[in-house]
Amino acid sequence: MANADIPKEYTLDWLVNETENVYSLPIIYERLTEVINHPRSSIEDITRVISEDQGLTARLLKLANSPLFGYFSKIDTIGKAATIIGTQQLQAMALAVSVMEVFTGIPENLVNMKTFWQHSIACGITARALAIYRREANVERVFAAGILHDVGRLVICTAMPQFFTGLLIAGREEKALLFRMEEESLGFTHADVGGRLLEKWRIPASIAEPVAFHHSPDKARKFPLEAAFIHLADIICKSLDLGFNGERFVPPLEPSSWERLDIPPAALAEVVKHVEPQMADTMAILRGGGP
Amino acid sequence: MGKILTDNLAPGMFLGADVRDRSGRLLLGRGTELNERHLYILRTWGVVDVEIAGAEEGGNDPKTAKTIDPALWAAVEKKIAPLFLHADNSHPAIKELMCMRIMREAADGKR
Repeated sequence: MANADIPKEYTLDWLVNETENVYSLPIIYERLTEVINHPRSSIEDITRVISEDQGLTARLLKLANSPLFGYFSKIDTIGKAATIIGTQQLQAMALAVSVMEVFTGIPENLVNMKTFWQHSIACGITARALAIYRREANVERVFAAGILHDVGRLVICTAMPQFFTGLLIAGREEKALLFRMEEESLGFTHADVGGRLLEKWRIPASIAEPVAFHHSPDKARKFPLEAAFIHLADIICKSLDLGFNGERFVPPLEPSSWERLDIPPAALAEVVKHVEPQMADTMAILRGGGP
Repeated sequence: MGKILTDNLAPGMFLGADVRDRSGRLLLGRGTELNERHLYILRTWGVVDVEIAGAEEGGNDPKTAKTIDPALWAAVEKKIAPLFLHADNSHPAIKELMCMRIMREAADGKR
């Protein structure tokens, strides 16, 4: 395998630092977090911060009015969205939107960004639907974690393009799982990388941890259930060919996580039936006119 | 009393238990006779299955599976086998997903 661009003394932190020079989280997200976490903030304060970013405002409103929510009356202001959907939920959605906008300029011959985000968004919607099925409180966190679960792959691809290409070729020739090969070659996986980057960006652990453990949810210390949602959603999307993230095989299902989720197998078809009508709209809203 | 998937519900069935949304709010009470409007509400709120009075547990077998020609089923099964190379095909969830994929492929093939 081509390991030419792996420096001798690389570590997970090296990789994440390397990435921080290229990509940074939009300042708007930090300001939003600050205002949401401030005990004396009002909905007006939150609305003011979001409204400063017209693109973000438009996307959040479109999401709020999409089949994802299915509200009867039109949500035409961020204030209304914050009241009806919830500020924490809005924050998670804003995070997904902000991070997606960060990763641009990746060469098309390495990653097809359209199919990559298709898989990511499908995973986010599916994980959200699984969380709704389980009657979880904040399903938008799960939605955001699902959308971001593979960002580590974009990081690896940007910092070590030759290694990444070698990985894809080896995956095809040796019929091996990419995350297993990453583990063997690097000592960590794209899941670890994604988790560490989000942690560095001070994204809440409820989102960063499920990303970091989406291939091994049982190892998640605080959020194993959330990690299990992403884990199963990833497997569902892979099984049904919803988008493409570079991986050619359905990742192995962790039986203990399946049991933790406590979802009857017959319900999977039903969950997917809810997911599919939401796919195209959500993709169009989150990707905009992007490539 | 048994759980019936929302998709398999029909007007005229009676709820065997209260139906609540994800935050625990009561949507429909036990004993309600379902009508089209109720089915719409259940779908909108993402309720996947409900308890129905008099229904048998496990009455949700995918009936469509039986309508697919066995030869077509076998052909599609063979085609998708490589995708599931690293998955445990004996696990009920994986079995279900393989079945769903086969039905999708078969439906696409017919179109």
